[in-house]
Amino acid sequence: MAGGALRVNDVERTFALKDDVVRALDKVSLDVPVGSLVALIGPSGCGKSTLLRLLAGLEQPDGGSLLIGDKSPEEMRLAGRLGVAFQDPALLPWRSVWKNITLPLQVMGKSVKDHEAAIKELISLVGLDGFEHALPGQLSGGMRQRAAIARALVTEPDVLLLDEPFGALDEILRRTMNLELQRIWLARRPTTILVTHAIEEAIFLADKVAVMSARPGRIVEVVEVPFARPRDPAILRTPEFHALSDHLSELLFSGGGH
Amino acid sequence: MNNVRRYGRGALVVIAVLVVWEFLGQFELIARGALPAPSQILRQFWQDRSDYPPHLSVTLKSAGTGFLIGNIIAIFSGALSARFRFAETLLRGIGVTMFAVPLIAIVPVLLLAFSGTIPRIVLAAMASYFPTYVATLNGMRNIDPRLVDVVMVAGGTSNDVLRWVRLRSALPHIVSAFRVTAPAALLGTLLVEFGGGTRWGLGSYLLGSLGQANPSRLWSIGLAATAVAASAYMLFAFLGNRLTRTSLSATVQTTIAPSTNSGPWWKRLLGVGVSVSVVLGVWAGVLKILDMSPIVAKSPLAVFRYLTVGVRAAASRTRLFDAYSETLPVAFIGLLCGLLAALLLAVLLSLRPTLGRTVLPFALISQTMPLPALTPLIVLIFGRDFLATVVVCISVTFFPSFVTITQALASTSPAAIDVVRVSGGGRFKTLRFVGLPGAVPALVTAARLAAPRALLGVMIAEYLATGNGLGNLLNESRGKLDYGMIWTVATTSVLVAVVITQLIGLVERLVDRRV
Repeated sequence: MAGGALRVNDVERTFALKDDVVRALDKVSLDVPVGSLVALIGPSGCGKSTLLRLLAGLEQPDGGSLLIGDKSPEEMRLAGRLGVAFQDPALLPWRSVWKNITLPLQVMGKSVKDHEAAIKELISLVGLDGFEHALPGQLSGGMRQRAAIARALVTEPDVLLLDEPFGALDEILRRTMNLELQRIWLARRPTTILVTHAIEEAIFLADKVAVMSARPGRIVEVVEVPFARPRDPAILRTPEFHALSDHLSELLFSGGGH
Repeated sequence: MNNVRRYGRGALVVIAVLVVWEFLGQFELIARGALPAPSQILRQFWQDRSDYPPHLSVTLKSAGTGFLIGNIIAIFSGALSARFRFAETLLRGIGVTMFAVPLIAIVPVLLLAFSGTIPRIVLAAMASYFPTYVATLNGMRNIDPRLVDVVMVAGGTSNDVLRWVRLRSALPHIVSAFRVTAPAALLGTLLVEFGGGTRWGLGSYLLGSLGQANPSRLWSIGLAATAVAASAYMLFAFLGNRLTRTSLSATVQTTIAPSTNSGPWWKRLLGVGVSVSVVLGVWAGVLKILDMSPIVAKSPLAVFRYLTVGVRAAASRTRLFDAYSETLPVAFIGLLCGLLAALLLAVLLSLRPTLGRTVLPFALISQTMPLPALTPLIVLIFGRDFLATVVVCISVTFFPSFVTITQALASTSPAAIDVVRVSGGGRFKTLRFVGLPGAVPALVTAARLAAPRALLGVMIAEYLATGNGLGNLLNESRGKLDYGMIWTVATTSVLVAVVITQLIGLVERLVDRRV
């Protein structure tokens, strides 16, 4: 896919509270090669989501730079080349699944008609065949999340930003959705950042796992994940997986974690 | 409870009420026949049936046009305020004025400024403005921030957020505001018809029937007006429910989400200054556009001079002061009684929830009953004095207060209730330790919402019946063509209502901070 690698360079972000300044991000640097999936894990409040919002062009950094290829996130956002999905599926409750998925196209002023075949294919890919006309209120939590992911992919984005997309789902559903996400991702291979606080999810899905420390957030270590794709849930029981998992736990709990 | 049983119970209650009413009416047990029996009212209605269509059509046309205009302006200004902060600052003063204005005080001014049905349309529009404005503004502002992110990430701008998210999010709020603004528009129209002395219109019909010693006809007209208001209410309640697919609360938001309330004191003071200037500017501007004679139309400055350096300034001040010292205490007592009644019923209903389903429909109907139609009926029963005025005042302040307090009682945290129940407490203890303390802010909010209505209620009763206070001063000034006093009463009553609501608002913020 076109676009470019994500390069985050010494990014800083502070928030002014009433009489205090909170440093959310402290000189964060991270590289995500084109077409790879990097997981970002860290304790809650470490600034993972802030970093994601910076990459989505929704906020501006106070220092450092973010580049996607040779463009700023703001430029990418305005060009409609980003896709996001949040922990909360954030579907418009008055719109059907189909109309929620077409929303980004409409916002960009593109014709929905021209993309009809692609949207149908996308709905099949996320497994929502037959639910095109259902309203979000009629769907289960997992199905809403599938719709949100389809919406994030509808513009064929160069970069996909996922902010704990399955954080609100139960453990069993979460594993199923992880398998699904891998399948969907392999079909399109957008450059992806996945924010999560689940170690298992991070290892299972990512090419690299970046571990963040507690506030002020900074990247403690970036760990390569050696497993070949597509990955089978059986890898969760391998010694390599456990070793990696232990290593990440250690980083999380010693590297400034609570 | 299943539906059949619930509706069966409702029907039984309605039948019981009608039977008691019939009994009271037939034997003239209430104030020597001031309350006619339903059958007598129906018979009168049937006799007068050819009178209604021409009156009703004029009233509906004016109220409908005003409703449309007022709501369109309100939605437009609400959207503008949601999109631009400075627009909100500019429009805040207009909103507060529209909320607090005792509509009756504006009637003579409107009749001076316009002719034909225009005064009715203008007052109907004014009465419709505020609830819809607040609903639009809050509906558009209080949206899921994630939805904004979704649109922004797709390359959208704030205008795209307005178009794809905010407008549709606000729709159920706006429609639910229509439930209140439709009866309000009717109220506005009726008030002008009452003061206008024109041939057609339900208000004119009622006014013409006042001296006929025919209670059945007054009741029949009053109930017809109520039926119109209640149908409009139910229509919009139905639409609102369809839109949200869940039942909306029976109230309408009345606080603008704080944005300019915060900030340093000089900024807030600046905001107040801007608001006042905008209102005064609109006032002076409208006079300029209408090109009215300065003898009839008084500018802000002219009103100020009338009270300060005019020929009879001192005498005018005395008359004004006397009127206020008659009106305000009654309004205050009426407000307190209304709040107390609302609190009592709300508490009773929280202890006996099934009772609520029986009483609420009646409370709802009383809510939609237009004040000008209600007042003569109350005067029939309670006479032309202090008591009638207080009853009018209670009847207009009761319902909004009741809804506000009930909502607060109902929104008690379930966990807090469980804590009391685990400790062995029943419904009464829950109410005492959790419900009532939680309802204190709601009581203050209710006072703020009801205060302008209390003033309006008293003024209407004075204007129509008792011949006291501000309402009477308004009437007298019209008779004497004392234009300066007409404008002065209008201006000062708005000012007084605004100041009172703002003061209660101040208390409200203090209480909110504490709870």
